[in-house]
Amino acid sequence: MNLRIAWQVLKKDLRLGPRSPILLWAIVFPVVGTFVVQIVFGSLFAPQPRLGIVDEGGSQVAVEMAAVEGIETSLVETEDGLVRLVEDNDLDAGLVLPAGFDEAVLAGEQPELQFFVGGESLASNRLILAVTTLDAVRTVEGATPPVDVVIVSTGDPLLPMSSRMTPLLVLFALLIAGVFVPAFSIVQERENGTMTALLVSPARGVDVLAAKAVMGLVLAFLMTLVTLWLNDALGTQPAALLLSVLIGALMLAEIGLLFGGAAKDSKTLFALMKSVNILLFAPVIFYIFPDWPQWIAQIFPTYWIINPIFEVAVQDAGLGDIVGQLAVALVICVVLVPMVVVVSRRMTQQVVAAA
Amino acid sequence: MTISRRAAIVRAIVVKDLREFSRDRLWMVLTPLMLVFYVGILWLLPNTVDESIKVGVYARGLTGSFAEAFDSDAVSADAALEVVPFESPEALETAVVEGGEVEIDGQKHAVDIGISFPDELAASLAAGESATVTIYVDASVPAEVQTAMDAFVREATYAMAGVDLPVTQPEQELIVVGEDRVGAQITPQDRLTPLIAVMVLLVESMALAGLVAVEIQSRTAKAVVASPASVGDLLSAKGLTGTILAFTQAGLVLLLVGAFGHEPLLLLLALLIGSVMTAGFGMLAGSAGRDFMTTIFISMVFIIPMAVPAISALFPGAASAWVQVLPTYGFIETIVGVTAYGEGWADSAGYLLMSTVGCVIIFAAGWFILRRRVETL
Repeated sequence: MNLRIAWQVLKKDLRLGPRSPILLWAIVFPVVGTFVVQIVFGSLFAPQPRLGIVDEGGSQVAVEMAAVEGIETSLVETEDGLVRLVEDNDLDAGLVLPAGFDEAVLAGEQPELQFFVGGESLASNRLILAVTTLDAVRTVEGATPPVDVVIVSTGDPLLPMSSRMTPLLVLFALLIAGVFVPAFSIVQERENGTMTALLVSPARGVDVLAAKAVMGLVLAFLMTLVTLWLNDALGTQPAALLLSVLIGALMLAEIGLLFGGAAKDSKTLFALMKSVNILLFAPVIFYIFPDWPQWIAQIFPTYWIINPIFEVAVQDAGLGDIVGQLAVALVICVVLVPMVVVVSRRMTQQVVAAA
Repeated sequence: MTISRRAAIVRAIVVKDLREFSRDRLWMVLTPLMLVFYVGILWLLPNTVDESIKVGVYARGLTGSFAEAFDSDAVSADAALEVVPFESPEALETAVVEGGEVEIDGQKHAVDIGISFPDELAASLAAGESATVTIYVDASVPAEVQTAMDAFVREATYAMAGVDLPVTQPEQELIVVGEDRVGAQITPQDRLTPLIAVMVLLVESMALAGLVAVEIQSRTAKAVVASPASVGDLLSAKGLTGTILAFTQAGLVLLLVGAFGHEPLLLLLALLIGSVMTAGFGMLAGSAGRDFMTTIFISMVFIIPMAVPAISALFPGAASAWVQVLPTYGFIETIVGVTAYGEGWADSAGYLLMSTVGCVIIFAAGWFILRRRVETL
């Protein structure tokens, strides 16, 4: 490989790159993606039990329920509206508190509890909402419980949805900058005939691909850090973070070269992307749904780059915690190198033959 | 020109387009591969919903009354709680703190919540004295479950102490609104099926857009209409090609995931409407006649909003009003209704009508704009 030639190709790409819509996409995506995913879809993914309350008399029960952590409460104007929301599964359960409810409880009159649940609500959510509501009524009643309850908590808490969405955004940034940019750049050079011009010069296929890889790698590295910064997920271990992002960018830049080198035109590249991208993206779904069997995520190569980034950026892991995963990622990167070389040779032969 | 002659021309263009796709060996290998990936991911997802909370309990002589302390027609402690009895408080604490599975009576259990009642609880309650109950929880247990278990223990001991509820329970104190789906919830597999089908359709709109864009760019569209084929024939052929590509692939995915078990004709009709609609999107995006990247960008402008109803169907609750006016909403709701809720023609008629109207508008827009583009070449 001739570094001087590769540098010349890279300089040309950097000069002409801003004209490409894909580069614009790679730069704009972290901002737009963060907004869309965190603001619009963040609440959509929240799996908390949802209780609607019609509070006709300013009951303390409604105040108590609103203060319970992990239960989403909303006030509804009318009982009919509440029933409709529960029926549509917009709420898991509904509670109607008539005027004078608290006074009746305090007077020991045992007022009727109008509580209904949606048919599609989970059994566990029904239980959570019902028993918590009863507990709130007991609080209003001022009863002294027959037992003291001590809660002993162990282990790590469940991450909020905003943190579990971070791998999705990071992989998007890595994929667009690391895979799309070099792949489309290579294919466009082939379609425009500039690749032929390059290859009849002293430049070899591997020089051109090296330049494309560096561009993808640098852009993916920078945009991943920007994405993490926008999501307030830079962690506390900068060295571990930079290393894991660098290895991630390297792996995806190599995949970008494979895509770009293997595709003879845009249509083929599109076919490649639409089929292989699902493999690349699969692991991030498992962060969003932690109840799914997590071992499945490890089948996919991108797990070994996204999980170290996730652990360092979100869970404050150190280099020692992720070194094994990074080793697996590096092995995958090394395995990709001969594949890139083969693709590079094949691409060169095809371009020269076509010329 | 006779209708049969026109049909022959359209057929010839469709065959030419499909042959062009089939000559692309990579496309021929990768497209089925993509379908296999989609199906594989669907099959890997759980096909059951665990809607119970697994609780380890140490309660010498109290386990039965604990589980029965809070039960009713709608909130069934049996369905919501899976109680795993432990022989000692130490074993219970170890099981929760260390995690993993423990073997009890030949069965393996993993518990992340443990409730340890003191041995002297019954005597304390009888004597009116206070006792302490310890709940061990893994910190990953959601806050609302921890709160509920705390409240549950108090309520259970109120019941054991013979203290009445502070409220009256009507004859059926908790009313279930709508069809009660406890034990028959929509599984992740069922939830994701419509999204996969819609993604296949929308991605294929990009394939058609690419095809159309290339014909515009290279002006082969102009050459075709200079032959006996009219612009109408060309547009019909492109629409048909896009519909065939989208319909066969989405249909194959649904077939492979076993979605055709209920109302197959209804499902096929919904897919057909969706396929024609995506062909319309493909014609719209392709009519710009720009390079492949620009075509993909234009396609994304359609694809992202059109996929929103499918994403929204993943989550509980009715979709927002703005989602319901999107053209894809109707056929996605039909697929969700048939595959997840077992609905039939009567339930889906409104959605089908809605999606048909959307389909006609989108396809007509695609036809009109592409026609103008071809005529001005």
